[in-house]
Amino acid sequence: MRRAALLAALAATLVVPCAAQTAAPPESFTSQDKGYCIACHQLPEGAGPRTRADLGPALTGERMRALGRAKVREVIEDPTRANPDTVMPPYGRHRILDAAEIQRLVEFLLALP
Amino acid sequence: MRCLRTLLVAAVLATPTVDAATPEAVRGEIAARLREKLPALAPADYALGAAALDPDLRARVQDNAAAAAPVVAAGKALWMRKFKDGRSLSGCFPNGGKRVAQAYPQYDARLKRVITLETAVNQCLKSHNESPYDAADPDTMGAVMAYLRSLADGQKAAVRVPAGAEERFEQGRRLYFTRLGQRNYACASCHVQGAGKRFGDIPLSPPMGQTTHWPVLRDGKAITLQARMRECLELMGAAAFPAGSEELNDLEYFLSYLSNGQALSANPYRNW
Repeated sequence: MRRAALLAALAATLVVPCAAQTAAPPESFTSQDKGYCIACHQLPEGAGPRTRADLGPALTGERMRALGRAKVREVIEDPTRANPDTVMPPYGRHRILDAAEIQRLVEFLLALP
Repeated sequence: MRCLRTLLVAAVLATPTVDAATPEAVRGEIAARLREKLPALAPADYALGAAALDPDLRARVQDNAAAAAPVVAAGKALWMRKFKDGRSLSGCFPNGGKRVAQAYPQYDARLKRVITLETAVNQCLKSHNESPYDAADPDTMGAVMAYLRSLADGQKAAVRVPAGAEERFEQGRRLYFTRLGQRNYACASCHVQGAGKRFGDIPLSPPMGQTTHWPVLRDGKAITLQARMRECLELMGAAAFPAGSEELNDLEYFLSYLSNGQALSANPYRNW
């Protein structure tokens, strides 16, 4: 019984780091001549460079997963379809990023803590 | 691709204006939007640009107020330099250039063009058979501006849009609000829609007051307003218009009119 409780406690300590673990942002997120998403959006602590950028909303995994994979991809490809007044660049429509770069961004965003 | 971008921008700007508002109405509308977006910021502070929105940046500007001295001295030397005909830049402007910058840009009714202070300097050089300066070169035009604009420090911007000049003002306004370039930004996307928000770590300055504090001192060099506009256009993924082009002159005219009433303060330190 005590052993089971100990294992359960140990497992609990492992869950938190695994869930919070995230890959470094892809180059297209941080590079000025690519997406440069970091200039407008903040990331959760530990998920990438810290800035005070707030021209766009803060990005969280919870928000990205609520939007869903297809919607996140659509917003990156052409955010003006959903919001003509947005200041976010149409990364796919204007060929700032290619399909593979957009895919890597989608996966990175969905995996955010 | 670059050529295509330029053509697209030219096509957008060439579209006839349907319902252009008066310059004062445009100014009032933008002022109202800024008051709504930045209620805590006193309009008198707009002239500080991004530094008005960040105490740390404001302190950096204040702590480095003396950094401009060498550039201003270099500009003064160019201002006083005797041309081959014995005249100088100083002789081309009233009162040796003191308290003239606040009234620029001006509209030349004969040429039907906007004359910026840089244009006026080059007109002077040409009229005395001297080579004009590159309008974006920090070492020549930048330095001359650092000195000449310092002679108007504290003066309130007083740019006029007389009858006949409305179209130039309107072209500047259109360029400011037109999305262009690969990133699909307009100047207004960041500086009106996003005024006060941060791009990276730096607050986005409001358009009113943006023309009052030029040139800025970056890495010891005098960066003119139009050189900075070109940097912005490149960041937007657009083919930047040349400094001194009609497009940037009109844009400067529009922005300068918005800053009327704001005090000029040349050569602030910038390391961002």
